[in-house]
Amino acid sequence: MSAFAAILAKDLRSELRTLQSVPAMALFSVTTFVIFRFGLDRTALFGSLAAGVLWATLLFAAVLGINRLFVAEREEGGFDAIRLAPIDRTALFAAKAAALLVYLIVLELIAVPIFALFFLRSPAALVPLAAVALLADLGLAATGTLISSMAVNSRARDLLVPLVLLPLVVPLMIAATGATEPLMAVGGPGYHRFGTWLAILALYDLIFLLVGYAVFDFLLED
Amino acid sequence: MPALPLGEAGRYVAAAYIVFLVLIVVYVAIMAAKLQRIERELRELAGFAETRQNPVPTGRPAAGVRGVDPTQPQTGPDPNLAPPEAVGGPGATTRGAPDV
Amino acid sequence: MTSFGFGLKTLSTATVVTLTAALCLVFFYAPLDANQGFIQKIFYLHVPLAMTALTGYIVGGLLAIAHLRTGERRWDAYSYVSIHISVIFSVAVLITGSIWAKASWGHWWVWEEPTLVSFLIVFLLYATYYPFRYAIEDPERQARYASVFAVTAGAFVPLNFLAVRLTPSLVHPRVLATANGGLPNSMLLTFLVCLAAIVLLWITLVKFELTAKSASGQVKRLRRALDAPAPNGPSRVAPEVG
Repeated sequence: MSAFAAILAKDLRSELRTLQSVPAMALFSVTTFVIFRFGLDRTALFGSLAAGVLWATLLFAAVLGINRLFVAEREEGGFDAIRLAPIDRTALFAAKAAALLVYLIVLELIAVPIFALFFLRSPAALVPLAAVALLADLGLAATGTLISSMAVNSRARDLLVPLVLLPLVVPLMIAATGATEPLMAVGGPGYHRFGTWLAILALYDLIFLLVGYAVFDFLLED
Repeated sequence: MPALPLGEAGRYVAAAYIVFLVLIVVYVAIMAAKLQRIERELRELAGFAETRQNPVPTGRPAAGVRGVDPTQPQTGPDPNLAPPEAVGGPGATTRGAPDV
Repeated sequence: MTSFGFGLKTLSTATVVTLTAALCLVFFYAPLDANQGFIQKIFYLHVPLAMTALTGYIVGGLLAIAHLRTGERRWDAYSYVSIHISVIFSVAVLITGSIWAKASWGHWWVWEEPTLVSFLIVFLLYATYYPFRYAIEDPERQARYASVFAVTAGAFVPLNFLAVRLTPSLVHPRVLATANGGLPNSMLLTFLVCLAAIVLLWITLVKFELTAKSASGQVKRLRRALDAPAPNGPSRVAPEVG
């Protein structure tokens, strides 16, 4: 079994057993939807408002998961184990990013239907939304893993992740909401510039996966 | 976007250039504070170096230090250290800074 | 390692001369813009500052790559200073941009100008460089992680500009773009001299900052060599140039 698969399997198994990230993220999302319902005083959302509420909530829920991504490694000496093992260290980056991707997909499988239930008048947007969400999750996973690994070894780690991560994901959010907004328009899903936004998402994913791959080794040096 | 009348427009342009100037001056002020601290520390260190060297009665004073009586132990900052050449070396400018 | 103060005087003199020439050109030579009138003069300051700051961030990223590849700490210090001066220039960009927005649109901030908005995001990101950096106590690790940050952020800058430029709600034409295209020669000359002046200013400030860092570093070194007691009060771990 390759190092990547081994680490990924360990993480997923650990999450299944302890259930410490994904349920919290999902619960946080649903509660936030309720807060938005009252904060905006609306029971139905369309267009840019719908896209904004959805993506802002998913982003903040993701931050919760990203904060916890490397905690086990730090507390149980996993970093040392990786350093000592004769494997390519970027396997850790790839495995953690893949794990985070899985968490985000599961989060969305729970949160997005509930969002549609609370606020959308028709589920027609959900299928194309899946494509947007997948690409956005990939970018979020890459950047989140990178920032999380940098923050885990510093003081005030829980503060640093949101602080540094949020500006970095602004282009991601712009593209995700840009694609989602016409999907949730009043008259039914529209695809204005859908391809462009998906291209931007893909570009973001590519760049940050490459950057993460290139620099991760330096983060593990001691 | 119709252009503002010259008087009003002039204020905004002036404000922009003044902000630029103010930022430069603020930067200079901060660097001045840093320079002051460096000077203070150097003075302290020079004094320290002096007290260390002075137990040797006939020892030569540190190169470049002027007007210091080698037989008298220094106890406080030496007023003669005020000139920039006081700290050993060919001058306080970084031109003579040792290689790192 | 040569001393950093070498050539600082010449550089500062060149900067002062070019800045003065630039200011003279802006106010005595460049013609008045037909559309925006006198307000347009802000661009001679705002745009060079923006271009220099962005280049500075990219340079910071490149220097960080050098640090990661060679392991020499001085590259990290160069990267830090590049980013630091660029952040200061960014503050000037945002303030002058805001003044221009007030003069043109009547509001101190407008979301319609994508370059300004992109700049805000970039500034917010690089502003986190400091708390991020100083939260790591081990100096070597701090330098390495800061370099990783600088590289990531450097890659982020062009992507961010692209994304913001495509934001759907931009109805109004982008003035900064039109201000640059099709400039008459007199304006172009003025702009280029202003750009040269601001770039020289950036280089001078970077050198200035590096000289101060070098001096502090020498003081520390002297202190260690003399076995003198350390200065009282906590001092945070900061990038050192050697």
